[in-house]
Order: sequence, then structure tokens, then C-alpha cells
Amino acid sequence: MDKQVVSFNLNGEAVRVRCDPFSSLLSLLRDRLGLLGTKAGCGRGECGACTVLLDGLAVNACLVPAGKAEGLNVETIENLSRGGSLHPIQEAFVEKGAVQCGFCTPGMVMSAHALLKSDPAPGREEIRKAISGNLCRCSGYVQIEEAIAAAADKLKD
Amino acid sequence: MKYIIAKSLDGALAALQDTGTGRARVVAGATDLFLQEQPDRLIDISRLPELQEVTLEKGLLRVGAAVTHNAASASGLIWEKAAALAEASTLLGSPQIRNIGTLGGNVANAAPAADAAVALAALGAEAVLFDSPGRFYVKPFAGLYAGYNCSRVDSCREILAWFLIRPAGPGQGSAFLRFTARGALSLPLANAAARVTLEKGRLKEVSLVVAPAGPAPSRLKKTEALLLGSNLSGKTWSMAEESASAEVAVRGSALRCSVEYRRRLIGILAGRVLSLAAQRAQRNR
Ligand SMILES: Cc1cc2nc3c(=O)[nH]c(=O)nc-3n(C[C@H](O)[C@H](O)[C@H](O)COP(=O)(O)OP(=O)(O)OC[C@H]3O[C@@H](n4cnc5c(N)ncnc54)[C@H](O)[C@@H]3O)c2cc1C
Ligand code: FES
Ligand code: FES
Repeated sequence: MDKQVVSFNLNGEAVRVRCDPFSSLLSLLRDRLGLLGTKAGCGRGECGACTVLLDGLAVNACLVPAGKAEGLNVETIENLSRGGSLHPIQEAFVEKGAVQCGFCTPGMVMSAHALLKSDPAPGREEIRKAISGNLCRCSGYVQIEEAIAAAADKLKD
Repeated sequence: MKYIIAKSLDGALAALQDTGTGRARVVAGATDLFLQEQPDRLIDISRLPELQEVTLEKGLLRVGAAVTHNAASASGLIWEKAAALAEASTLLGSPQIRNIGTLGGNVANAAPAADAAVALAALGAEAVLFDSPGRFYVKPFAGLYAGYNCSRVDSCREILAWFLIRPAGPGQGSAFLRFTARGALSLPLANAAARVTLEKGRLKEVSLVVAPAGPAPSRLKKTEALLLGSNLSGKTWSMAEESASAEVAVRGSALRCSVEYRRRLIGILAGRVLSLAAQRAQRNR
């Protein structure tokens, strides 16, 4: 398999990796770079478990060819907590009981992160829209919506 | 295998033509690409500035093929001049798909009920395609389809650069509607788009496109003709509904819905989308 060097900014650090440029950014992150926070679910854009931010926008890492990351900023769930303390969005998920099996959680948190960066005071409708590409098979979504609304309040303070 | 981020349109065309290093294919958002056979080289056109522009020039709205669905849905100019397209892009897929999937990819992928494609067909869009540096041609939308999921755009040779749309002027409006099993992440069971021109409170021009009904977005010409000269009453929209239901050639799907169900659904969507387009046209003075 032909390899290509792909350079991008990962969670604030410059990285250069030799990889198959057609393989997914998801497999590059998990299998090559050891960042296992981003989950592999359906592998076809339908569940949102693999959500990462590409230049600030939420995308499905399973659909992004690794070569597409060249020169861009990639942010994963690993970038959110700081020195062992959770990010306000993560805190709110814990406090509101928005985590059950937890498989969808990194993707949900990244979709929430993308939303709150562009809209610091979203209404319920905006929250629902922002997580409409993320499936949760456990929670029923209500706690997740509440957690994102609470996170918005926390981030305002 | 090589993934090339194109820096210029001419560079992308040259890279496509350079077959010495194997077969190449254009890629934009790559959201449809994983379903396809992989070439030797992918030429990524998603960062070309000229393919991301939305401009109004010489009386035409020019929308770049690399405009993402989210960019289309956030464009005030597209909402004002071609609302059906902005509406389709707003409803399509999920936030993640809309952030990266493009209008050109939606059309070149040639899915029978691709949302943006249905809107572009109703808007009477034309496509500008390049096959070598400086050489382009303009094709009517209907000429872009070769069969089910098979485009006449040869993405190993050509680049779809822009869509040209007649912008909505006074008394003109357009709309798009779709019906899905779920609110997000669900391909439409049916969709419809319309564009109308009003004169003295009556329909002077009507374009009505529905899908899935055959390989390409399908214009319902009999229904369009029937509606000319009608006023904007509930009776007109019921007539549109009945006529569209009778006219449309639908296929059922064992998994998704029966022929009868889809026929009725398309009729209802047709009546509603025409009424919405007409309301917009009335407001557009
Ligand atoms: C989970 C999921 C949900 C989806 N939901 C919907 C939906 O609700 N409605 C809908 O209509 N679609 C949907 N899609 C399909 C897809 O996301 C869209 O069609 C999207 O617009 C494709 O654009 P892209 O830029 O990602 O195309 P790509 O994957 O980059 O390309 C698709 C095809 O077009 C060719 N191509 C792309 N750009 C050009 C160009 N400029 N010139 C020549 N050839 C080109 C490529 O070679 C390829 O063959 C969905 C897809 C997924 C994975
Ligand atoms: S794993 Fe990417 S969307 Fe499901
Ligand atoms: S918590 Fe289990 S899938 Fe969401």
C-alpha cells in the first residue's frame, strides 16, 4: 500500500504521519496515533460516535480520508480536559446523568463543543439540531440536551 | 495512492489529465466516496476559492460546486434568490455531513433523490464543467444524468465548477420539501421542489420537480401546464396534488415504501411545495 506523509495540527501540536492517505482520519487517530477517545461506531457517517472538529467544524472522522487533514486543525475529545480536570461540557454531562454506556459521549461532547464555540447561548432547538447527527442508544437524549444547556451556562460564567 | 489537495482549478485539471501516475478522481467532501471503488489518486477540489463562491453577476446567481451544504444554508444570497436550494441544504443529512458535503458532490453522485440536486433541477440550474485548463462548457441540469446512480459528469476527467441559476425576481419564488422517516440522517422517502412566477395573482410560470421517480429528479410537465393561469387558492393546490400523484412514475421499495404510498406522498409534497413557493413569490415584490 502506498504511503504519503500527512501534516496537520492535532490538538494544538504539529504532527507528521506517514500513512495510507485514503484510509480514514478515524483509523489514523485511533490505530496510528493511539487516541482512542474518538469512537468507531458505524464507519459510514450515520452514528456520530467518531465526531471530531476539522478547522472548528464537526465532521465524521470515519468519512474523512486521512489525506484531507493536510494543513488543517484537527481537534479530538482528548483536547478538552486540562491537567486531569474535566472541561465544563464534560462536567455538565456527568452532573446531568447524560452518560450511560458512554459510547456516544465523546461524539456528543464534540458536537456540543462545536455548537458552543459558534453559539454560546443556544436554545433547545439549536441544541437538538447540533446533536441530530449523533445517535445515543441509551439515554433518550433529554439528559444530553440538559447537559449542553448547563454547559452553556457554565461557560458563560 | 496519492491524495492531492488542489491549489488551483488549472492544477486540478492538469492532475486529472496526468494519467501517467494512474487513474485519478475528483473528490470534494468525500461523504459519498467511501461507497465507490478507489482510484489511484484523489484530487481534492474542496479548498479552491473560486469553487466556494456564491455571486450574483450579469443577472445570474453563480454557486460554486464546492460550496458545502452548511455554507449554502447560511448564505443570505441563496435564501433570497434561490430559496429551494438553501432549504434543501438545510434539511440534508446531519450537521457533520452538511459541514463537509458539497453541492457538486450531491449532483455528481447522481443519487435519484439527492436533495440539493432536486432543488437545482426545479430552479432550472445549468452546470459549468471544465475538462482541461481554460476549456469549459455549460450543460442543462437534465443532461447531467446517465442512469440510476450514474452521472454524465465523468469525475475522472471533468470538474463541475459552478451552477448558474436565474435568480428570483419580483413575483418569483421557490421552495423545497422532503419527507423522511426521521428528522435527521435519513434519506428522503420523497422530496419535491418548485419555482413559480406570478402575474396578477395567477401562476404564470411553474417548474415542479419530484424524486425519486426515475434516475434523475423528475419534472412533472403535465401538472406544470395544468396549473398555468390558476389562482393561489386551496383548490389549485388540491388540483396540483391530484395531478402530480397521477403523473409521477414511481418505483416502490420493499424496504422503504410501496408504490401507492410514495405516489400519494409525492402528490402531497407537490401541492405543499407549490403553495410555499407561491407564498414566497407573493412576498417578493
Ligand atoms: C450519513 C449520510 C447521510 C446523508 N444524507 C443525505 C441526505 O439526506 N440527502 C442527500 O441528498 N444526500 C445525503 N448524503 C449523501 C452525501 O452526503 C451528499 O450527496 C453530499 O452532497 C456529497 O458531497 P461530497 O462533497 O461529500 O461528495 P464526494 O463524496 O466528494 O463526491 C461524490 C461524487 O461526486 C464526484 N465529485 C464531487 N465533486 C465533484 C466536482 N466538483 N466535479 C466533478 N465530480 C465531483 C466524486 O468524484 C464522487 O464520485 C448522505 C451521506 C451520508 C454518508
Ligand atoms: S463511526 Fe463515524 S459516524 Fe458512525
Ligand atoms: S450513553 Fe450509551 S449510546 Fe449514548
